[in-house]
Amino acid sequence: MKDSCSSLSGLLEKYHDQEVTDRERLLVEGHLSECSACRNLLSGMVELGNLLKIPVREAAEKEDFHWVWQKVKREIRERDRSTWRESLRSWLDVSPLLRKRVWVPALAATLVILSLIAVPVVMRENTSLVKLSPVEYVESQDYNVMIYEGEKGNVTVIWLFDGPDEEVPIS
Amino acid sequence: MNWRTFALLSSLMLFLFFPSMVFAQVQTRVRIIEASNVGSTTDPALRDVHDQLGSLFNFSVYRLLKDVNLNLVGNRTVEVPVHKGRTMEVTLVGEYRTMVELRIKITREGSPILNTQVRLSSGRTILIGGPRHGGGVLIFAVSARF
Repeated sequence: MKDSCSSLSGLLEKYHDQEVTDRERLLVEGHLSECSACRNLLSGMVELGNLLKIPVREAAEKEDFHWVWQKVKREIRERDRSTWRESLRSWLDVSPLLRKRVWVPALAATLVILSLIAVPVVMRENTSLVKLSPVEYVESQDYNVMIYEGEKGNVTVIWLFDGPDEEVPIS
Repeated sequence: MNWRTFALLSSLMLFLFFPSMVFAQVQTRVRIIEASNVGSTTDPALRDVHDQLGSLFNFSVYRLLKDVNLNLVGNRTVEVPVHKGRTMEVTLVGEYRTMVELRIKITREGSPILNTQVRLSSGRTILIGGPRHGGGVLIFAVSARF
């Protein structure tokens, strides 16, 4: 084996695997025409390659790749399908909204305005209702009606009289 | 405004205003009492309101004819049959933080003898009385708990 053989040994494998550049290919082929040892080494590589190719091809023919692919596809589909919790979380994700910073003061201002409107309305409703008589309206076609408030203020009486001459039963 | 912003703002508005629009269940007690001056006994079931009745009316006997607890929900009328073709209808028409609004209708043989709308705070009683019954009169005591 010449000195050039050792420098080409790395290229020889690449040449066998057809991974060399044009320049390297010319270099290797030039060397091979002169060097029988490297030719033998190359033919050994070809034989070894053939020995490996045949059983791999046979094994590949036996393998059911369709079934494997179905399994892979199912796995991909399941990963793509998000759960309802993830859907809800993504729906409720307000971060894109908050990224537009203009929304934050706008939302805060809306809340303040709403509370300023709502609180006095609620308070007024309650206080005014408390002051009013508990009887909003009363009507009777057959009776005369009298409304009487208990002294302690926790009882209201609606009394129906048969006629104007009936005696008032209230003490 | 995209659909997500619209949905969020709508939810916020609903959250703020929904509680004032919803009717909760209101427990209402209706006691139908016969008051007369025949005798001097008082129904033991009316012991808690006897003093109240005594301070308001000049009857010597109070007898509990019916004690009904109603679970009222918004705008749904509940009918309470009273004696001899008389019926009382109670409807919850409004509900506020401190009081409820009830519409009360009393009918005799299908025709109304009283229509009223009252506001009741929790624990307050409305007494509706006057219709003749036997030797005395009927008194309806209506109170609410919420």
